[in-house]
Amino acid sequence: MMKDMENKMKRRWGMAIDLDKCTGCGECAVSCAQENNLPIFEDDSDIPKKMTYLDVMRITNDRDAKFPDVKVAFIPKMCQQCEGNDPKNPQPPCVSVCPVVATDTGDDGVVSQIWSRCIGCRYCQVSCPYEARVFNWWKPKYEGSFKKSLNPDVSIASRGTIQKCTFCSHIWKKERDKAVMKGELDINAVLYTPACVSACPTGAMVFGDLNDPKSEVSRLARDNRAFRLVHTIDQKKPDEQKKFRAIKNFPNPKVYYLSSKQWIRDLMRFK
Amino acid sequence: MIINYNNLQLILNCYSFEFCLKNTFKEIRSKLVKRSIVLITIPFIVFTYISFILFQKACDYGMNLQAKKMEPFNHKTHTEKYGATCETCHGYDENGRFKGIPTIAECTSCHDRKGPATSKDPAQPLKKPFLAKHKDTDKPWESFARQPDLVYFSHKVVMTAKFEDGRLKSRCGSCHGEKGMSTSNDKIKGKMLMGQCEDCHTALNLSNKCAVCHD
Repeated sequence: MMKDMENKMKRRWGMAIDLDKCTGCGECAVSCAQENNLPIFEDDSDIPKKMTYLDVMRITNDRDAKFPDVKVAFIPKMCQQCEGNDPKNPQPPCVSVCPVVATDTGDDGVVSQIWSRCIGCRYCQVSCPYEARVFNWWKPKYEGSFKKSLNPDVSIASRGTIQKCTFCSHIWKKERDKAVMKGELDINAVLYTPACVSACPTGAMVFGDLNDPKSEVSRLARDNRAFRLVHTIDQKKPDEQKKFRAIKNFPNPKVYYLSSKQWIRDLMRFK
Repeated sequence: MIINYNNLQLILNCYSFEFCLKNTFKEIRSKLVKRSIVLITIPFIVFTYISFILFQKACDYGMNLQAKKMEPFNHKTHTEKYGATCETCHGYDENGRFKGIPTIAECTSCHDRKGPATSKDPAQPLKKPFLAKHKDTDKPWESFARQPDLVYFSHKVVMTAKFEDGRLKSRCGSCHGEKGMSTSNDKIKGKMLMGQCEDCHTALNLSNKCAVCHD
């Protein structure tokens, strides 16, 4: 029994994205779409039709700013893998609203989404504070020979289902298989890198285990420059934080952004 | 035929009065019955019979019941007489996910292409006539029990899981049934449902989260 407990998943996957290093090249978005078999439509400006897990958002300090004052930054925004109020019993906003348990938090804290179980009610898309979920309004289409280059590990969703980023959990399963073939049976020994992180040319994105205090991610998450998207309560006092955390379905994301620029941090502050 | 006759009698009772004012009632009725049996009933029975056969064939084809290059194979003699286990023929893929595609080379590692057809000595490698049709690199059996596209299942991971005392947590039979004792290599009819996986995971105190298998 004790051994069973030891073999339980201890990982808590998280990501840190350094916005000072990010050049906005969009490599992460492309590699994500390629890895997860996302369809390509003729017009990607058609936002409800567009299928993207990872969106590179362009933010400016002021829409009407003139030349010397214009400041621009790019924020790669994917599913923030929220863990809710209690990390031991993760209840992200999207999980509690799903009527058919199509979405659930895994042992490693990754919010999964099974398209075949999804009935297409889109409650989760509404409840998601980050608009990280996409809905297949049309049947996925692949032009020409693109269908031959699809990833065999990821299933192609049908029309009328929600899909989302799962931190490339199929890569974790592949790595787990490789480790087992080598004779390594402890699942905590398996480490992996999602497609977006391995594609990043500047090393702005870092992926790893937040539970491990020695990992690069947890070091960056404790950094002074770190903030989280939208409801950043990290700068508040502890008792105030407690009050905000008590709100039901507080998202509490696991993706950390790092920036030294004050105007970005001001944009993300809880007002 | 009796049912048809009775039905027709009911129908003909309505029409007969208009049709046979001059002729006798009985003659006309027997004529019409004979004609309707020849023209309607027999073609109908033949048509349904043929279409049933066709649909059956189509379903078998759709379910991949007839595997490619199907050759006669008796699991029972191999396991009982010669003491073969599942692992003797069914190896892993290179990534450990799938099993069950033995090549002819694996057959000829035990069978002899030039040996005798029958022998009383079980150690004597036998000749199998169908092996002459194939090269050593051919795959005579397809693995037809693949998991659906959205399930990430690895045989190796499941089959290496052990209890503390070294016993395996699962064996081939817990999902595939006693295939080793069957006399054929037909596909097992029916689907393997998710509940079957979940039952084992619950019983063995393993995680039942969606992301364990699905992606």
